[in-house]
Amino acid sequence: MSNKGSAYGQAAGDTDFRKKYDLDEYAAKAAAREAAEKEERKARWEAKMAGKKYYKPMDGTETLTTARNATQDFSKMVGTTSLVPAGAGVGKRGRGAGFYCEACDLTFKDNLQWLEHTNSMQHQRNVGATGQVKKATAEEVHARIEALWQRQQELKREQVITLQERLEVRKEEEEKEREEKRRKRKEAEEKKRLEKEAALKAKTDYGEDVRIEGEHDEDDMMAAMGFTGFGTTTKK
Amino acid sequence: MGDRKSNKPEYHRADERRFLDERGSSGPLAPNGLNPATILEKAVRERIVDSYFYKEQCFGVNEADIVDRVVEHVDHIGGVTGTVQKPTPFLCLAFKLLQLAPNDEILEEYLQFGGEKFKYLRALAVFYIRLTRQDKDVYLKLEPFLEDRRKLRRKGRNGVSLTYVDEFVDDLLVKDRVCATSLWKMRRRDVLEDLELLEPRVSPLGSLEDLLEERDEEMKDGEGGGMGGVRVGV
Ligand SMILES: [Zn+2]
Repeated sequence: MSNKGSAYGQAAGDTDFRKKYDLDEYAAKAAAREAAEKEERKARWEAKMAGKKYYKPMDGTETLTTARNATQDFSKMVGTTSLVPAGAGVGKRGRGAGFYCEACDLTFKDNLQWLEHTNSMQHQRNVGATGQVKKATAEEVHARIEALWQRQQELKREQVITLQERLEVRKEEEEKEREEKRRKRKEAEEKKRLEKEAALKAKTDYGEDVRIEGEHDEDDMMAAMGFTGFGTTTKK
Repeated sequence: MGDRKSNKPEYHRADERRFLDERGSSGPLAPNGLNPATILEKAVRERIVDSYFYKEQCFGVNEADIVDRVVEHVDHIGGVTGTVQKPTPFLCLAFKLLQLAPNDEILEEYLQFGGEKFKYLRALAVFYIRLTRQDKDVYLKLEPFLEDRRKLRRKGRNGVSLTYVDEFVDDLLVKDRVCATSLWKMRRRDVLEDLELLEPRVSPLGSLEDLLEERDEEMKDGEGGGMGGVRVGV
């Protein structure tokens, strides 16, 4: 290795080396890709000749296919990248109107087509799955039953708790309502009392000579009938 | 019933394509000698693999996942429902079991440990056993559940009705059509007893002979023959 007099010693030479190395690597990668593509074309051709469907060959990094965990909720997909707006092709390569599969770069017009696609071997291979499912042993089945049972009991307990909570909340609400009614009743009573007091005060203020229309009708009637000395007209 | 130590492959196909392709003689047969791929009628099979439930909930499912599906999705037994004859989740899962071919050890888990907790899991297991096991084993495996009085909902073409685990088991033992499925013709119990393939069944309520004797005595006493609702027609 020649020293090109870089201030940093070997650095310049290193860079050259890396460039050359990158080029070599790039060429090697391109060659490998070309070989792989050629291999794939050949495999596709052979599969076609044998009347079979071609799948991307497995490289040993695949995982086993597993069952869906829960029902796919397609309503949740609205507004995500999986549901693309209308306008493009249907059931075709690339993004389009409907349900888009990232792994396969395909778009399907509805959830059924999309579901069928996810079940296809083509899709399984594209997401790196084998399309095979591991058999369960009796022990695994036993453990699953136990786990599901525990989960169900847990859910039931939670439901009981939420029920109790709901009952408590309702009790509180009812208590509040009662309190509110009591408050309103008291308020109304207080208002009445104040009004009464005010009326009383007004009468006293006005004195004997002042008469409010209709106010003393009853007294007048009583007087006419020969009764006196009732209520507020005691001074008379 | 004894394929406990079989050398079957460790894996299932996630889908049913190969299973249905093997409807000739190449696929492994059920213990009763039937081809599991053709046990359900063709029209029913087609409706099952076409159904959304089957595509979504039965793909990639193994023997343990079956339990999840039953707990999550099965709240009635039955074959097909409605004018479009939609297969029930129960029937779809039975079809999946035909593909998975669970061994006897697993079936015991479904029947006993799981069946005590989840009645529809027991219902599915007894149905599957009736379809695939030899007649003597069907009697032996199913009869204990003639004591299971838990309620089951049943959906059919005529709507929803109420039944019981014991009644469903009895149907499986005596009827020739259950859940949109023709049941293969088993030998009668007394025939199997004569062949000494089965011991006479001893019900927890007493043997059939005792019950009949009791009835005879009652008849002699002129009290009429009330069987008290005890089912003896096996
Ligand atoms: Zn895909």
